[in-house]
Amino acid sequence: MGALLMRKNLSKGLYSILIIFIALTMISPFVFMLSASLKTTADAFDDPLAHIIPKTIYWENYKTLFSSPDYFIWIGNSFKVVVISILLRGFMVTMAAYAFARLNFKGKGLLLFFSMSTLAIPSDTTVVARYLLYKYLHMLDTHWAIIIPAIFDVFFLFLLRQFFMGIPKEITEAAIIDGCSHYRVYFRIILPLAVPALMTMVIFSFVYIWNDFAGPFIFISSQGKQLVTVGLQYFASIAGANYSLQMAGASIVVLLPIILFTFAQKYFVEGIASSGVKG
Amino acid sequence: MSILHRNKPDFSPEKIYKKRRLSLEKQEARAALVFVLPFFIGFVIFGLAPFFYALYISFMDFNSFKSLDSLKWTGLSNYKAILNDSVAISSYFKSFYYTIIYVPLLTVAGFLAAVLLNKSFYLKAFSRSLFLMPYVANIVAISIVFTMLFDPFGGIVNIVLTKIGVDHPPLWFAGTQTAILTTALVAVWANFPFQMIVYLAALQGVPRDLYEAAEIDGATRWQKLSRITLPMVSPTTFFLVITATIGSFQNFTIFNALTRGGPGIASRVASLNMYEEAFSLNHYSYSAAQAIVLFVIILLISAIQWGGQKKWVHY
Repeated sequence: MGALLMRKNLSKGLYSILIIFIALTMISPFVFMLSASLKTTADAFDDPLAHIIPKTIYWENYKTLFSSPDYFIWIGNSFKVVVISILLRGFMVTMAAYAFARLNFKGKGLLLFFSMSTLAIPSDTTVVARYLLYKYLHMLDTHWAIIIPAIFDVFFLFLLRQFFMGIPKEITEAAIIDGCSHYRVYFRIILPLAVPALMTMVIFSFVYIWNDFAGPFIFISSQGKQLVTVGLQYFASIAGANYSLQMAGASIVVLLPIILFTFAQKYFVEGIASSGVKG
Repeated sequence: MSILHRNKPDFSPEKIYKKRRLSLEKQEARAALVFVLPFFIGFVIFGLAPFFYALYISFMDFNSFKSLDSLKWTGLSNYKAILNDSVAISSYFKSFYYTIIYVPLLTVAGFLAAVLLNKSFYLKAFSRSLFLMPYVANIVAISIVFTMLFDPFGGIVNIVLTKIGVDHPPLWFAGTQTAILTTALVAVWANFPFQMIVYLAALQGVPRDLYEAAEIDGATRWQKLSRITLPMVSPTTFFLVITATIGSFQNFTIFNALTRGGPGIASRVASLNMYEEAFSLNHYSYSAAQAIVLFVIILLISAIQWGGQKKWVHY
């Protein structure tokens, strides 16, 4: 009995080691990136396989990075765009999702079908049209060209509608019968109960908008207004042969979403799982 | 008496309830308007209009710098021009080539990773979060790292390959034959965690007793996988393949970051070619026509996949 248990534990242990090994291989590009950012370019690339953990840590790349004013402006711009987008998106999308989940009105089914069908249009196919539209609306080369279109997101409308529909009807109906308005029900009952779904939306939005490349690349032209993803590409081209410096720039950009994700992984996983299985 | 009686307000509970209901319905309709209208207006302008505007522009002669009110209707001439444009046509084939590498590899990688993680082992949460990390990484940062790793001369990958005796290691992003393939591999690495999580959720939905019954009948591990697991998760596979296919044509970002269409135009996929036409050459209408053609291609592929699902999807 004891021997059997031990054998079972042993194989579980070996399996765990195998999985950790695969997982580390999976993130080895990040390890390489971080490692190279803490060395001189010569050290990092003459013999790239030696000393993954640097013998002496070389901070000069980060010092150069932090003394480059553009880099901070880009990070600040990205933060601004991400925060405003998430706030406005959260407001608009949850309101519409409440109506689609709880209210009866004419054309509801048709409207939902229409919105969902636009999910099948890859945004790459409407780039020219959007460029001309934003030009007409004087949104080009402003952060609004990224923020405003991000607000009206059909994917999250659908995700939140599904979540709201899962909240027991009895709770909201009782409140309505007692004379509570829909605005109060939405604010005081639905939103507080939907915090997990809202967290999912916040994290996904952060990752997607922070990492968006095509939007700022096409619609923002001034260097001072640029966001960090496109800025990083520009930064890399300036750093040129100074590869370690490029790696330092990349590390900071990667690190921020990873830190956020580490703290809120639960919502992230649940968000993906529910979008895939129920959708 | 009778008149008085008629005018007397009816306080019976049913009537009050009915009246209350009516006003509730009215209130509901008004609330719906307030809740939906702002989103709907924004959605029409920024979600729906660009598509129809692209369709409209594709029939105009907006192929140079000019004001929007001097545009003329040109019928199908932009579409006809695509037929004589070998670069545009090859760009569709390149996109298609990317898709048929990317989608199967992505699906298989996501499924295998999910099967690996769907067991009990130590440090499960930690390993899972490492597996997820590529998905949250920034594409430009990824491209900076991978262009160095896969540098044909002096990149780690080729150094290792040369050390273990490969005489002519591939040129990766710099090779005309390998640029699209290498980009697809990086895209698989960056995106498989999504498929993995969806598959993990689906695997947890497969009833345990199916496996137990199969074990009693002496089924092998492979039989359990192919006869129980794969059919049981086939609706998930279908959903993932459909969405990944649509997503795979959405490849401007990854190609722009990794190859910029190079070497030469070896990896100039449709999205890149459309970008060049519009923003380097100011051929807005021509680019829009190419976009509409791409959209029709995606629609056709989705329709074929939809039609084929009866053969292998078990609900």
